[in-house]
Amino acid sequence: MNLRRVIAVSQKEWREIVRDRVFFALAFLVPVSMMILLGYGLSLDVEGIPLAVLDEDHSSASREYAYRFIGSRYFDFRGYVTSEHALNVLLTENRIRAAIVIPPEFEKRLVSGKSAAVQTLIDGTFPFRAQTTKGYIVAINAAANMDLLAAHLSKAFGVSQEVVRDRLQPVRLETRYLYNQSLKSIWSLAPKLVMLILMISPPFLTALGVVREKESGSIYNIYVSTVSRGEFLVGKLFPYVAVSMVNAGVLFVLATALFGAPFKGSVATFFAATLLYVICTTGIGLLVSVFVRTQIAAMIVVSIITLVPAVLYSGVLIPVFSLETTARMVAHILPAMYYTNIVTSCFMKGIGIASFWPDVVVLAGYALLLMGLGYALFRKRTKE
Amino acid sequence: MMDEAMIRPAVWCRRLVVMTSKEFLQLARDWMLLVFIVYAFTADIYLAGSGVSLQLRQAVLHVLDQDGSAASRELIGRFQPPHFQLAGRITEGPREALRLLDRGQTMVVLDIPADFESDLLSGIPTRIQMQIDTSNSVQGFLASSYAQRITADFGTERAMAGLRAQSGGTGSMPRIVDDHRVWFNPNQNDTWFMSITELLTIITLFAVLLPAAAMVREKERGTVEQLLVSPLSSFQIMFPKVLSMTVVILIGCAVSLALVLRGMFHVPVRGSLALFFGVTTLFVFTTAGLGLLISTIARNLAQVGMMTILVFTPMLFLSGAWTPPEAMPVWMRTIMYASPLHYFIDTGFGILLKGAGIDILWREIAAMAALGGIIFGTGMLRFRNQFGN
Repeated sequence: MNLRRVIAVSQKEWREIVRDRVFFALAFLVPVSMMILLGYGLSLDVEGIPLAVLDEDHSSASREYAYRFIGSRYFDFRGYVTSEHALNVLLTENRIRAAIVIPPEFEKRLVSGKSAAVQTLIDGTFPFRAQTTKGYIVAINAAANMDLLAAHLSKAFGVSQEVVRDRLQPVRLETRYLYNQSLKSIWSLAPKLVMLILMISPPFLTALGVVREKESGSIYNIYVSTVSRGEFLVGKLFPYVAVSMVNAGVLFVLATALFGAPFKGSVATFFAATLLYVICTTGIGLLVSVFVRTQIAAMIVVSIITLVPAVLYSGVLIPVFSLETTARMVAHILPAMYYTNIVTSCFMKGIGIASFWPDVVVLAGYALLLMGLGYALFRKRTKE
Repeated sequence: MMDEAMIRPAVWCRRLVVMTSKEFLQLARDWMLLVFIVYAFTADIYLAGSGVSLQLRQAVLHVLDQDGSAASRELIGRFQPPHFQLAGRITEGPREALRLLDRGQTMVVLDIPADFESDLLSGIPTRIQMQIDTSNSVQGFLASSYAQRITADFGTERAMAGLRAQSGGTGSMPRIVDDHRVWFNPNQNDTWFMSITELLTIITLFAVLLPAAAMVREKERGTVEQLLVSPLSSFQIMFPKVLSMTVVILIGCAVSLALVLRGMFHVPVRGSLALFFGVTTLFVFTTAGLGLLISTIARNLAQVGMMTILVFTPMLFLSGAWTPPEAMPVWMRTIMYASPLHYFIDTGFGILLKGAGIDILWREIAAMAALGGIIFGTGMLRFRNQFGN
């Protein structure tokens, strides 16, 4: 491998990138804008669920019960309705996502010490939202029942409500939140967005850069030159890795400064691991470019094999242990999951490389494998 | 004169047909692209639909049971699938717990103190401790609230049993029974949700990228000059690109709906299929307009690629496909009203899962059509100005 030739190829590539001003600007603009938009927008916190209430009892007990939901920050009260049909329409039109139906004789049954059934309707089209909504409803209902029971028993036994409550809740669960004490979702999200964006943008840059030469035919200059395969690939990929590392730095600053995510680990280790990861994702771009002939195909293939898996199988939104067997296998095949572990360890857990070195080794192996495959499959001789 | 009036529309149509078949031919010759179109509409949707869930499932739990009593065992036994999975017991104390949490080998550690049962029996309030890895804050919060629920129910049931034994039955108690019904997807089947979401994603990706790329390719190779000196109008140059890609996308969508969504995942199609395909066509046109707009700005395919992710990713993630739109800040929700995907998600889920008809969805459809008209019109205008036809 001749260093001068490598540098020559790199310089040529770098000039090509810089001279296409729009492309050059986009290479930096895309990661930043994705980080900002997704950082503010991508949230799984379920709050302000639009809610309507059908109160068929019109008693003080039913109003009090309804108010437990209306006053909660988890629900956004859209008003009372007068018939079940109206609820039906509102749910189908996406105007509300949950509804509560309080039957007649609600108060009467409770006062006489009987059980009263309340019906809640939940829009199930988005199962995650439905499950969370159900969780809120169960919790609010349980609090209402505890109040009822405490009032009833304190009357029956002639002791104060506080004493009854203590008796009814003999076990207290003390919860300690580790790594993200205030449960700020942006703190968990921002570091993982670094992973997501570095999964998408380097392969795009690389695949487009290599396939562009193939499609326009300028790659024949390389085919007939003295530059070897290895020299060409190293020289060609170096500028893209460099651009992506600059982006990684910018994303790191955005995550910590703009979104305030805490960084507890070692910066040097983090960037070393990030370099490995960027080489991996650049390698994915290289591998794609070996197989496709047109830039259109390159764009489609890259977006399908990076974008979707990065969201589904990397642990951004869904923890890997929640995945079923096939999906979990896919997760282990992709480099994203390992880098997610590293990012979480460095940002949130603040633990040293001793705890996550296996992930680093996997990434290094991955980088070697991808580059090796790219090298082996890249041909200076065309088949035709 | 008569003849010309007869011939003109015929020629116009013929030109359109010739141009459209040229686009099909070009697509058919890129076999790698074809392979991936087939993959995207079948295997990719199958993968997304099987085994991916946003809900808290199988959270890994380790227990440090210092009591080892019947009561502690009963409480531990309540941490069950689907929400939790008991992965093991910790025997070496809190340091081992922390190590497991640090390495990400467990999500929840439950620590039950030594005098748990004796306290319970003698009526002394007792505390148990739980440590949760909240590096994924949403999942951490869910795990915490399920655990609270489980412990509270356990405590209350034991207390009530104690009371009954003490007083020989306390008679009936007032109680509000919450009977919840989940509509449209009663079992909260993630497969339905994920596969539909994935289908909408794939449709969007192709609708933005394919027409834009087909257009810019002509610019990059200079073949657009040949088209411009031909008797074709700018509409006749642009429209066939959108038309051919729309046909491809609709075929892909039909295959995916029949084979994967209905065939393998048994997604109910409650509304009218004709309406669904009608809306899909409208959406593809609207989004293709966005692609054409990109193609008038971009000068080469590399720029198209970068601009596509610039437009496509936020559109995809923030239109409500992956995260509930209720959780977004208001200003961002306002921006998303300009995203055609936002309306397509509402109508797509509405027709497939809710069985909604045009009487309910007309607002979304009208908004999409208006948006499409604006985007497409702007794209055409820019194209004309650029090439001075």
